[in-house]
Amino acid sequence: MADRPAQPAAVTGWMLLLYLLGGVILALAVAGVCSLFGQVDLDQQVWRMRLFHLAAAAAVGAALAAGGAALQGLLKNPLAEPYILGISSGAGVGVLLGLAAGAAWAGLTWATTPVLALAGALLTCAVVYGIAQHRGRLNPYSLILAGVIVNAFNGAVMLSIYLFVDPYRIADFARWAMGNIRYDTSLALLVICGACVLTGWFVLFLRAGALNTLGLGDEVAATTGVAVNRLRIETFVFVGLMTAAAVALAGPVGFLGLIVPHICRMAVGPDHRRLVILAGFAGAIFLMVVDTLCRTVGPAVGVGTVPVGIITALLGGPFFIWLLRRRFAEASA
Amino acid sequence: MSHEAQILEVAELSFEYRPGAPVLRGVSLAAATGKLLCILGPNGSGKTTLLRCMMGTLRPGGGWVGLNKRPLREHSRRGLARLIAYVPQFPASAFAFSVREIVLMGRFAQMGMLGLAAGQDRAVARQAMIMTETLQFADRTLEELSGGEAQRVMIARALAQQPRVLLLDEPTSHLDIKNQLAIYRMMVRLAHDWPMAVVCVSHDVNLAARFADELVLMRDGRVVAGGPPAEVIRADVLRETYSVEVSLVDAGSGVPIVVAQ
Repeated sequence: MADRPAQPAAVTGWMLLLYLLGGVILALAVAGVCSLFGQVDLDQQVWRMRLFHLAAAAAVGAALAAGGAALQGLLKNPLAEPYILGISSGAGVGVLLGLAAGAAWAGLTWATTPVLALAGALLTCAVVYGIAQHRGRLNPYSLILAGVIVNAFNGAVMLSIYLFVDPYRIADFARWAMGNIRYDTSLALLVICGACVLTGWFVLFLRAGALNTLGLGDEVAATTGVAVNRLRIETFVFVGLMTAAAVALAGPVGFLGLIVPHICRMAVGPDHRRLVILAGFAGAIFLMVVDTLCRTVGPAVGVGTVPVGIITALLGGPFFIWLLRRRFAEASA
Repeated sequence: MSHEAQILEVAELSFEYRPGAPVLRGVSLAAATGKLLCILGPNGSGKTTLLRCMMGTLRPGGGWVGLNKRPLREHSRRGLARLIAYVPQFPASAFAFSVREIVLMGRFAQMGMLGLAAGQDRAVARQAMIMTETLQFADRTLEELSGGEAQRVMIARALAQQPRVLLLDEPTSHLDIKNQLAIYRMMVRLAHDWPMAVVCVSHDVNLAARFADELVLMRDGRVVAGGPPAEVIRADVLRETYSVEVSLVDAGSGVPIVVAQ
């Protein structure tokens, strides 16, 4: 690659700790600044909502970016991402089912939606992987294609769920389906989803060394001591968990898992131990900033609060095409 | 050859990817410490499958693979990685890791879960790069190296595992003559001087015959002939193996040169 950065220093435990502390401090600082935008003479209740809102944005951003970085490592494909592979829409089907069922039958608990989201995400992971693999080998383009197909199918399932929904609630659902962080995020949902994201992030970080080795080929990794099949399943399960949490909080927010890891890789190189940490924090900060802009600029120009998913997709679509074209150019060079 | 030196043994090995289409039909051979063993045979004769069974990434349908006097299956994954290392046909890295980082990845089984390198790991990796003459590329990526240089990096990565058996799958198939010679000389050096057992799947009969201590000829999932090159390189044996007429030219080096008609 022509734009390869100068080789960064070797990964050490202290360096990773520094990334972690720096990431926490920076994310908190950005959250603090973001919380000051918009109206400031608010009562306690509204402040609480704004902080929950920022926390949700951070959790969603971290989940999608760290998950995207790990998926890219696992699939050896910089185009892989929870949204493109259909994992987000799979979780979305689960969430919509949960919301629709919640409207139909009272008495469903707050846990229904995250559990259905997880089931949808994992089912989609299994289907996409099943379509794209042949004897355990993955073709990068059939993977993207499988994601596109499954995405379209999941989209149709979501639309059919709309048929059973009270027409007055469809606008609400449609807004969610664009990738929108809700203002009435409950503390319970925030805590359960946040815990899922932190768990998944931690596990992916622990597997980052093995993901590095996998980049040299499955057989090289296996003979170096990596349990390749277990690594695949674990990575899919925990990316699925993080994606499900993100979708339960904000709907399917696309392309963030593509843009953020790519920029991080350009900054610190391909080592997944650094990348998973850095992408998580960068994703959290990125989404907090974008969400704050959506919340403040939108009303200022008279369109109301803009769903963040619209902005990430508007940025990410062209970015995806650029990456794809560059891969073709490299392959033919 | 003393029996003690045979570190990797394969007995009556059979394997099929699909039922009814056996790829290996009762293969037996042994690799000894201090020797370069080359496995030759036409395409589809089962060489690569045999190699995969020997390194444990394929589970044989029948027969036995023994490493260090124990069944291969009884070794833990990490334990196996300390004994056997593998060099693939095509050097490849999905991401732009530096040569140093790639070689250090060979220490995975010796490092903790996060793969943080200790001084010992760095020293071993450095030694592996010195032995393969790749230290001067330590900060470059594979894409910036020639095919021969990249293959030497993959050998360095394998050596960082400090294995007792090195398995190579057609490591010279895409290299020019100079680099082919360099890789074969390196394999001989590793076998004799480290010493370790080196097993190399090859398509080049003449290079294998010139450098190997032992040859195994395969066809249709069976061993056709095995032994020192002087015994195996015979016109009738090669005709049977490759289904082509061959003539042997004496090059004065003990092992004749094989010319396909």
